[in-house]
Parts: sequence; C-alpha cells; structure tokens
Amino acid sequence: MNTVVEVNHLTKRYGATLALDDVGLALEKDVIYGLLGRNGAGKTTLMSMITAQAFPTSGAVKVYGEEPYENSRVLRRTCFVRENQKYPDGVKVGHALAMARLFFAAWDQSLADRLVADFQLPLHKPVRRLSRGQLSAVGVTIGMAARAEITFFDEPYLGLDAAARQTFYDRLLEDYADHPRTIVLSSHLIDEVASLLERIVVLDGGRVVMDESADDARGRAVNVVGASSAVEAFAAGREVIHTERLGRVASVTVLGRLEGEERARLAARGLEVAPVSLQQLIVRITEPGRSARPDEGRSRG
Amino acid sequence: MNQGSGGRTIDDTRPLFLQIAERIEDSIVDGSLPEDAQAPSTNELAAFYRLNPATAAKGVNLLVDKGILAKQRGIGMFVAPGARRALLAERRAAFAASYVEPLVVEAEKLGLDETALTALLREHFAGRKQR
Amino acid sequence: MTNVIKVVRLQLLNRTTYVYMPLLILAGALLLALLVFALIPTSEAKYGFGAAGAPLWSFLVVGVQALTLTFPFSQALSITRRDFHLGTLLTAALTSGMLAAAFAAIGVIERATHGWGMNGYVTLPSLGGDAPGTAFLAYFVIAMLFFVSGYFCAAINKRWGALALIAALVGLTLVLAVVILLVFRAGVAGEVEAWLVAQGALGLALWGLALLAVLGLGSLAVIRRMVP
Repeated sequence: MNTVVEVNHLTKRYGATLALDDVGLALEKDVIYGLLGRNGAGKTTLMSMITAQAFPTSGAVKVYGEEPYENSRVLRRTCFVRENQKYPDGVKVGHALAMARLFFAAWDQSLADRLVADFQLPLHKPVRRLSRGQLSAVGVTIGMAARAEITFFDEPYLGLDAAARQTFYDRLLEDYADHPRTIVLSSHLIDEVASLLERIVVLDGGRVVMDESADDARGRAVNVVGASSAVEAFAAGREVIHTERLGRVASVTVLGRLEGEERARLAARGLEVAPVSLQQLIVRITEPGRSARPDEGRSRG
Repeated sequence: MNQGSGGRTIDDTRPLFLQIAERIEDSIVDGSLPEDAQAPSTNELAAFYRLNPATAAKGVNLLVDKGILAKQRGIGMFVAPGARRALLAERRAAFAASYVEPLVVEAEKLGLDETALTALLREHFAGRKQR
Repeated sequence: MTNVIKVVRLQLLNRTTYVYMPLLILAGALLLALLVFALIPTSEAKYGFGAAGAPLWSFLVVGVQALTLTFPFSQALSITRRDFHLGTLLTAALTSGMLAAAFAAIGVIERATHGWGMNGYVTLPSLGGDAPGTAFLAYFVIAMLFFVSGYFCAAINKRWGALALIAALVGLTLVLAVVILLVFRAGVAGEVEAWLVAQGALGLALWGLALLAVLGLGSLAVIRRMVP
C-alpha cells in the first residue's frame, strides 16, 4: 500500500466552532476518493489543510511523508482549486489557463483544449464575467489538465447542468484510466458520483464517520418496512440509523446484511426488505442529531 | 443511479464489482460471450458502465479467482473452458432460493395452492410450445 | 524558469495595472504640467513635481491589488507564499524601475531643453534632476515604498481584518507624531534638518532601501500564515 497523504489528529477550531475534530486518515496512491458529507461538515477545511492553504489548530498533515507547508517540492505535485476560487481581476479565461500551464509540470494542453471545447468556455472573456457554471468549468479544466499526482476537486459541479456534469465525470474517468492519480472528489451529490469512487470518506460535524471502500459501504444497510410491532421486534438489538412511522406502519433502516433465509423469514412475518443505496446510507448516517457511528473515525496514533 | 444508453443500469445498493462480475457471467451464460473468447478489458468495462476502473478490475479478478475467466499474459482475459457449464450449475443450485421460493411465497399471498400453481405452470409451458 | 520568475509572469498578466496605467498617468500629468507651464506668463523657473508624483499613488493601489487579486489564485496553482512574495516584489522592482527610468529620462530631457523651452520643470534639482543616476534610484525607491506599503497594508487587512489595519496605521501615526514632538521638545529640530539635507538625495534613497528591506521582511511575516 502506498500512502501519499497522512492526516493525524487534525483539529481546526474557529472560535467556538470545531470545523475538524481529531480527523485521522490516509490517502493511497492512484485511488479515487469521495469526500462526502453535508455542507459545513469540514470537507473544504480538510482539503485546505492538506494543501497548506489553511492551518490546523492541532494535529499533523504529511504529504509524501513531508509537511506541505511552504514545501514547493511536495506542493507542486498537488492541485486544489476551491469551490469559490478567486481569480486575478480582469484576467481572461485563456490567460488563467496559460498561467496554470506554467506552474504544473505535467499540464496537458490537448486535454485542456478538449475540456474548453466540451464546456464551451469563452477564452477571451474575463473570468469575473463568467456564469457560475462556467466558473466551475474553469476550475475543473485546471484541476484535470494539471494532471497533479494528488488532485482535489471541491464540489466541482456547482452551476453545471446535468449534461455538463456527466461530461465531467466521463472525462475524469477516461483520464484517470489513462493517467492514474490520487483524486479526491468532494461532493454532496453522492448518487451521481458514486460509481466513480473507489473509496469514500464521510465527514459529519468535522469528524470522520466512514472511511472504507465504496463497495463495502454499499449493502451495509437494509430498509425494513411493515407493521410497527413486527418492525420493532426485528429492530431490537440492531443498530438502527433511521426510523419512520406512518400510522401503524413503520420503516426502519438498520446496519447489517440480511441473507436469503433471514429475508424469507421476514417475508413470512409480513416485513418487506428493501436495499439502501450509498446516498441513502450516507444521508441517514449524517442526519442531524445522530450520535452513534457505524465506524468510529480512526485516528492513527 | 448510473444509466448508460441502452438501458444498462448499475444500482447503488450492492457492491459494484459484484454487479460487474454478474454481468459478465450473464453474457457467458446467454452465449453472447463464448468460451475461449476474449472478455472485455477492465478499461472497456469501466468506460461502458461509467465505473471506476479499479472496481471493474475487482469484478474481473473475482471471476478469475472463481475460474470463470483466465488470464493470458500479455494478451488479456479470456473465458475459461468449462465456464458456462460451471455457471449453469451454480445458477441451477441457486434457482430454488432465487426464483422458486419467491414464486411460492407470492402465490400463497394470492391464494394459489400447489395444485393451482402447478396448473399455471403447465398452462404456461403449453403456451410457449405454441409460440 | 524558477517559480519566482513564473510569479512575475503571473502578476504581469495584468499588464494594464502594472505598466500601462502608471505610464498613462505619468504621461497625462506631464502633459497637464506642460500646459500649465505654457499658460503661466513668466520666464522664471517653474516647478511642478506633482506631475511626477501622480503615478506613485497608483502604485499604492497596484501594491494592494498585487496581493488581494493574485494571492488566492497563486494558492490554487500550488505556489508557496515565499515564492509569491519574492515574485511580487520582483515585479514591483521591475515596474518601479520602468517608472524611474521614465522619470530620469524626463529629467535629462528637461535639462537639455531648458525646461521644455519654457523653463518649466517637473523634476526637482534637489531630487537629483542634475544627476540621472540619482534621480533613477530616488524615484525607484519611492515607487517601491508606495508599492510595498500598499502590499503590506493589504496583507495586514487580509490576515487580521480592517480593524487591525486601522489600528496599525493609527499606531504608526502616533509613534511618528511622538517622535517629531520629542525632536522639537529636545530642540534638535535644526540638527535633524541639517542631517537630512546632508544626506542628499542619494543618501536618503539608500535609507529608503533599508526601509524597503524592513517592510519586505515584515510583509513576508504577515503573509506566511495568510489564508487565501
């Protein structure tokens, strides 16, 4: 296993708010990660700390085994274009791309040209006069064409319509297949990006609540619906992450897999078993007011 | 949900690598991927289903471990001889749990007993012969 | 090409701000001064160095913008703060040099044409009007000081907020006022003035360089923990 980023006991406090709370994780080489969670969960803060664009209150970040702060040797192998990235006033799209090309050694101009065409970016227009979607497209173009070994995409799809988002996902997968690298994709549109991800890291209130392979997370939970009493009997002793009631019918989402015989038994009792998608699982786990976690965020001591 | 053209859907409630493996197995069973033919490459699968290549690779490796696919170094993945027979055997064994059990349960719900269900089945086969 | 040079290119993307505007202001102010000289019906020497000073104020703004507009983008391009700082100061030096050269050239022309044929000068003799080299250095240092002051203030504002900046400026003003007060109280105002005059344009320019070094290091200290 080839770890490229190591985060240990990372904490960030803004006054009374804890933006990151004892976060620990390791990012491997050439893996696509989904950094998931609600707005304000700490995703951008975490990515800022890893790229030394912001500073932790306590804890450590290591990129390629070194501290990234003011470390040109390590930083130039990373790329982080923020969701609300500011560009020099009056700079034109084409010039912004030309500057990115100057600083990223592995920059691929043909890929950049292709993306500019895909997103129909007006090269001669000043960046400040772009629509939200076009602005995102510029960020995506820079992030992808830079071919940095560790690339962060911070909610890159904001303002992009469905077709443009699909284009982004397609180009990302294509380029990743030809030029593997570590990619961290932060998103709250889990449904859309789910099939791109190899591993997921879920943040909730600044803490890591899930850190595993996307496939392991799929099928981690089941939804059981039926008469309240039967549902409650089933749910006893299991880890429930969501409950809903409508009259005498209850629906409960529990962690755990149900095999064939068990399902048959439940069916006999009049209980319906439905699968839970990755998005549903993560939404339930990060619901406000939830305290139990399916997987305590590991902090490497 | 990931929908490609042609209606192929990958669902997000079960591990994707398993679903990829199943799709390949399906094509072996229905004959569209014959024995000794070359299986689609990891990148081809990833592109077609819009999946992470690592996931596609995991699915392929599962089939290699199962003996359904065989790797020919330098060339690629090929359908192993006897793969179709093995898959049919495996699926027949699971047929009862996957299809018969739910059929009976549903029939019960509709008030169809063994005799009625058997009659239905006979009717169905007769109808098929005519087509 | 080192990162520092690349940052110069990054800053100079905005050539209008760094090059065209200051030159335009200088040209405009010069023309205005010439017009005024032509209108004044005297053959005595006339001085209007406000024209030469006009582009300096724009440099203050340039210094501010060099930080506020380009720093966040530099972070996205994985540039270290140190490289950004050095590259930006180098850009400042290049553009200050350009302005200083223009100023020195004007000085030479004025001496050669006896004040544009009207005995009107925008360059002061005491500011090295008679020595282009000194004029260049003096103007260069002053332009740099304007730039770095704007840059420094913008950095303080970005890192600690407007309140901190105001507090710093007020504090600085108070300190200067106190110093001046003490000088007068101690009755040494005469000696101080004499010393200043003795330094001459060249001496003051060198002191200016020293001040620049201090400001340069100070602003780097502020930037080192700045967040885009």
